[in-house]
Amino acid sequence: MRRRWLVQPDHLIPVVSLVVVVVAFASAPALSGRPLQPFDVYNALQGFAQLGLLALAIGITMIAGEFDLSVVGSYAVGGMLAVSAGATSPALGVLAAVAAGAAIGAVQGGLIARLRIPSMPVTLATYIALLGLAYAMSGGLSKSYPNSDATQWVDQTLAGVFSPRSLLTLAIFVIAAVVLGGTKWGRELRAIGGDRRASRVAGVTVDGLIVWLFTVSGALAALGGALLSYSYASANPDPGLQPLILAAVAALLGGVSLAGGRGAPLGLLAGTLSVALLAQIVAVTALPDFTTQLLYAALLAVIVIVESPGLRALSDRFRARRADG
Amino acid sequence: MTAVPVRPSASVVSLALPLIALVALVGLAVTTHRFLSLDNARAILASTAFVGITAVGATLVMIAGSGVSLATSQTATVAGMFFLATQQYGLVTAVPVALVTGVALTGLQGAVIGYWHANPIVLTIAAGFAIGGTTTWFSGGTPVYPEVVAYEVLNSTPLGLPVAVYVLLGVTVLAQFTLRGTTPGRQLYLIGSNRAAARAAGLPVGRVTVIAWAFFGACIALTGVFLASFNTSATATLGGTLTLDAIAAVLVGGTAISGGRGSAVRTLAGAVLIAVISDVLLLRGFSTGIQILVKGILVLAVVVIVHLHATRSHR
Amino acid sequence: MIRVDGLARAFHGVAAVRDVSFTVGAGEIHGLCGHNGAGKSTVVKMLSGQLAPDAGRILIDDTPVELRSRQAAQRAGVALVDQELSVVPALTVLENLLLGDIDAPLVNRRRAALARCRRVLDDMGLSRIDPGQPLSALSIGDRQLVEIAKALSQRARLVILDEPTATLTDVESSLVFAAIRRAVAATGCSVIFVSHRLAEVLELCDSVTVLRDGRTVATTPAAELTVDTLIVQMLGEPPRRLAADGKPDRDLAHALRISRLRVPGRLRDLTLTANAGRIYALAGQLGSGASDVLRAVAGLHPTAAGTVELHGRPVPVRDPVAAVRRGVAFLSNDRKSEGLFLDKSLAWNLTATRLPHLVRAGVLRPRREHAAARALAELIGLPAARLGDAVAELSGGNQQKAFVGRCLGRDDVFALLMDEPTRGVDIGGRAAIHHLLRRAADAGLVVMFASTELDELLELGDVIVTMRGGRLVNRYEGDVDGALLMRDMTQRLE
Repeated sequence: MRRRWLVQPDHLIPVVSLVVVVVAFASAPALSGRPLQPFDVYNALQGFAQLGLLALAIGITMIAGEFDLSVVGSYAVGGMLAVSAGATSPALGVLAAVAAGAAIGAVQGGLIARLRIPSMPVTLATYIALLGLAYAMSGGLSKSYPNSDATQWVDQTLAGVFSPRSLLTLAIFVIAAVVLGGTKWGRELRAIGGDRRASRVAGVTVDGLIVWLFTVSGALAALGGALLSYSYASANPDPGLQPLILAAVAALLGGVSLAGGRGAPLGLLAGTLSVALLAQIVAVTALPDFTTQLLYAALLAVIVIVESPGLRALSDRFRARRADG
Repeated sequence: MTAVPVRPSASVVSLALPLIALVALVGLAVTTHRFLSLDNARAILASTAFVGITAVGATLVMIAGSGVSLATSQTATVAGMFFLATQQYGLVTAVPVALVTGVALTGLQGAVIGYWHANPIVLTIAAGFAIGGTTTWFSGGTPVYPEVVAYEVLNSTPLGLPVAVYVLLGVTVLAQFTLRGTTPGRQLYLIGSNRAAARAAGLPVGRVTVIAWAFFGACIALTGVFLASFNTSATATLGGTLTLDAIAAVLVGGTAISGGRGSAVRTLAGAVLIAVISDVLLLRGFSTGIQILVKGILVLAVVVIVHLHATRSHR
Repeated sequence: MIRVDGLARAFHGVAAVRDVSFTVGAGEIHGLCGHNGAGKSTVVKMLSGQLAPDAGRILIDDTPVELRSRQAAQRAGVALVDQELSVVPALTVLENLLLGDIDAPLVNRRRAALARCRRVLDDMGLSRIDPGQPLSALSIGDRQLVEIAKALSQRARLVILDEPTATLTDVESSLVFAAIRRAVAATGCSVIFVSHRLAEVLELCDSVTVLRDGRTVATTPAAELTVDTLIVQMLGEPPRRLAADGKPDRDLAHALRISRLRVPGRLRDLTLTANAGRIYALAGQLGSGASDVLRAVAGLHPTAAGTVELHGRPVPVRDPVAAVRRGVAFLSNDRKSEGLFLDKSLAWNLTATRLPHLVRAGVLRPRREHAAARALAELIGLPAARLGDAVAELSGGNQQKAFVGRCLGRDDVFALLMDEPTRGVDIGGRAAIHHLLRRAADAGLVVMFASTELDELLELGDVIVTMRGGRLVNRYEGDVDGALLMRDMTQRLE
C-alpha cells in the first residue's frame, strides 16, 4: 500500500525532487570545500519564505485546472501597500495587503467563474494592470520602509535556522494542508481540476469554489509580498517575470500537473523547498548562475515529456503494433 | 438540441461598447496637445515596431490553439547575440544566422507541442531556462560586442520611419497572406477552432503547428536583430519584457487565447492601439505606472468582449 | 412510490414525448424499454430534472414535484446514472463516492467514510477494489460500477439507471443486478432501469413499461413477457425489408477489406469485406463495437490492431492522417465536438478537407473555393446564401448535411464511414442524408455506417451486419425481418 502511495505522480515527484536536492545540498561541501553551516540552511529557508506563498498561491489554482498569472502582481502591490500603510503598525500594513489581494482575486474569480473566460488571459491582463498600479504607487522606484524594528524582527534567527518569516510561511503551508486534506474542499478542488464537467454533474458548486480559489491565491500572494518588503525594508514595483516562473517550477516539482486534478499543499511545500535549496547550493558552491537555469530546464523537460498525452499514445501504439496480426 | 436565439442585446453590447470606447479615445487623442503631429505619429509607429513583429508571429501560434510562449525574450536575446557575433560576415550572413536560430529553437518546441500535444506553458518555460542558461554559459556573462558594425543600415530611418516599421508591415502582410490565402493558414484556423475535429478529418495537425511556431521563431529572431542593432551590444537582458508585451498586443488585437480566430492585421492594430493609448497618456503627463495600468485594463476589457462575442453565437 | 402522469414534451414543435404514464412502486425495479425515438431518454431527463415537461406531472409519494435542475432532483431523492459519468478519474474511489454528496460533512470523517465506502463497495460485489485507489487505475467497467455504487448509496427514493450495462461485460452486469436488488431490499427505493438488453431487463425487473412514438404502449409484469413479445410491443408491426434488386458486385478490386481488426476492450477480431457501390450497415447498440470498427479503420484508435486494405492498398490502422491519404473519409457520431468547426462558416466546413485541390502555385484561389463551396451546397441541398453562416446556426439536419457534404465530390475518397448518420436529425433531413449516402455509393464509394435505428438500417443498408459485445453476430442480405435484427442486437452472449 505504501508503495502504491509513492508511485502516484503527485507524491513521487515532490519526494524525488526533495530527496535529490537534499542529498545534493548535503554533498555541497565536497564542491565548496567548506562544511555546511546553520547559516546556509537559514539562507535556504529564507529563500523558501520568499517564494513559498507565491508557489502556494499559483499551485492551488493549478490544482483546480486554472492558472493565476496575476499572483506576481498581487505580490508587488501587496508589498507596496504594506510599506505604505504599515509604517507605524506593521500588522496594519499586512492586513491592507491581504485585503487588497483578496479583493483582486475575488474580482478575477468572478469573471472567470461567471463569464466562463479562461483564466490565463484574465490573470495576464490583471498582472499587467497590477504592475502598472505598483509603478503608479511608487513612482517607478522602490519604496522604502522606515520601520526598522519590523524589518529586524521579521528576519531574526530562531533556533539557528528559522526566522519568523519562514516559520509563518511554513505554518501557512501546514494550515493549507490541514484545510484541504481534512475538508471536502480538497477533493472538490482536485475534482474541478481533474474533470470539471463531471464535477458539475456530481453536484459540486464549481463557480463558488473558483471565486474563493482566486480570492485565496490573491491574498496569499499579497501576504508574501508584504512580508518580503518588510524583510528588504523596501517594496519593488517590478519583480519581473522570474518569481512567477520560479513559483510555477516549484509547483511542478511539487507534483502539480498543469492539466489540473493533482497535487497537495505538502507537495507544494516540498517543491518550494527543492527550488530554495537548489538556489542555495549554487550560492554555496559558487557554481555559475546559469547552472540553476539549465537544471530547471532539464527537470521541466522531463516532466513535460512524461506528461504529454502524445507520448502516452505513442507507447499505446507501440504496444498495439506488436499485437498486429 | 435547442439553438439559442441570438439575443439582440448581447450583440449590441459587444459592438456598441468598443465603438463608444473608440470614439472616446479618438476624442481624447485629438484634443491632446501635440498628438496630431507627424513626429508623434512616427514615434508611435517606431515604438510598436519591435514588439509588433514578434506579436504578429505570436498571433499564428495563438490561432493554432497553442496559446502562448514564455520563452520569447530569451529567444530574441540569443538571436540578437548570434547576429552581433557574426557581423564580420556581413548582414547577408548575420541575418540568416539569427533567423535560423529563432526558427530552429522555436520550431522544435512547436514540434513537441504539435505532435506530442505537450503543454505549451511548461514546455516554453523549460525552453526559456534552457536557452537563457545556455546563452549565459557561452557568453560568459559578458555582453556580446560586434567586431564589425554592419547593422547600421537597420537603424536608419528612410522617409523618417525606422527600417523596423517597414519590416513590421512586411511581416504583417506576409502573415496575413499566409493565414488567409494558403492551405496551412486555413488549416491553422480549423485546428485552433476544434483540434479533435481536425484530427478526425485527417488534417496534419503536427505539421501545421510546427509551421506556425517556426514562423513565430523567425519573427522573434527579427526582433532580436533589431534590438541588437539598436542597443549595439547584447546582454542577457536584451529581450527585456518582450514576452508579455507581445502577448498583450495579440490579445488587444482581439485574438482569442483559445484559438481558431484572429488575424495579423488585428494584432498590428492591437499593437498600435496600445502605443496610441500610452502616447496619449504620456502627452497628458501621466506616469509610466498609469500607462501600464491602463494597458492592463485595456487587455482585460478586450479579452472579456472577445469572449462574450465568441460565445454568444453557440452556447 | 413514483408516479408519472401524462408527461409530454416537444422540441421545436416536434413531439418527443406525447403521453407517458406509469407507476413505480416502492421497492420495485421497473424496466423502461423502447426503440430509438420512442422517448425514453426524454422521460429520463424529465425525471432527473434536466428538462421541464410541457404537460403532465411527476409525483413522488403522491406529492407532485417540480424538478428544476439535476441538483433539485438529487435533493428530492432522485439519483441518476447515465452515460455522462460523474466520477473524476483524478480522485480516489472513496473521494468519488463522497464527491457532491449533499450529506457529506465539511470536515472529513475519514474512518466513518471509509467504513461506509467499504460497505457500499462490498454490496456491489466490489470487495477487490481498494477505496484508496485512484479511479484512473480502474478499468472503464469498474469505473462505471463505482458510478453505479455511488448512485445506489445516495439514499435516494428513485434511482434511474440509463443504459448502465451498455459498456459492461456480462460478469460486471450481474454484479450490477445483484447490487440493485440488495439496495432495493435494504432501502425500499424504486429503480427505473432503461436498457436495450431485453433479456437483462426481463431478468432484473419486476415489470416493464414499453414506449413507442412517445406514448406508453403497455406496462406488464416481467413474468408475463418474453423477449419476442417485448420486441413486438416495441416495434408494433415489425418492419421488414424486401430484397433490393440485387445490385451487381462492383469490381472487387475496390473493396474495403478488414481483417482481424481488434481494439482491446471494445472490438474482437472483426473480419469483413465491403465492396464498392454498396452500403453496409453495422447494426449494434451502444457498446456493441459497431462505432469502434469505423473509428479504428479511420485511424482514431491508438490501440487498434489488424489489417485494413482499401483499393488494394494497405491503410495504417493507428494514423488518421494516413487513413485520409488512403481515401478513408470518416464522420464521427458527435459532429459538434469531433466533426464540424462550429464557429466557422458553412463554406469553410465544406472545403476543409479539400484545400490542396483549391490551390494553385501554393495560393488558395478564392474563386475556386467559392465555386467548390457552391457546388457542394447545391449537392447537399442547402442554399448558397447560407454559405457564409456559421455552422453553429444551422439546424441539426443541415449540420449533418454539411458534415456529409465535406466528403462528397472528391476523387480521392474511396470509403465513406459514417457513425450514426442521422443522429439529432428530423425526418426531412433524414431522407436527405440517406439520399446523399446512396448517391455516394452509386458514385463508386464503399459506404459503411453504424446505426441503432432499425428503420434506417433496413432502409439504407444493402448488407446488414449485426454486432453485439464487440463481435459480429450475423450478416444479412436480401429479406430481413426487423425483429430478427433486434434480437441479434439485444441477445445475451453465451
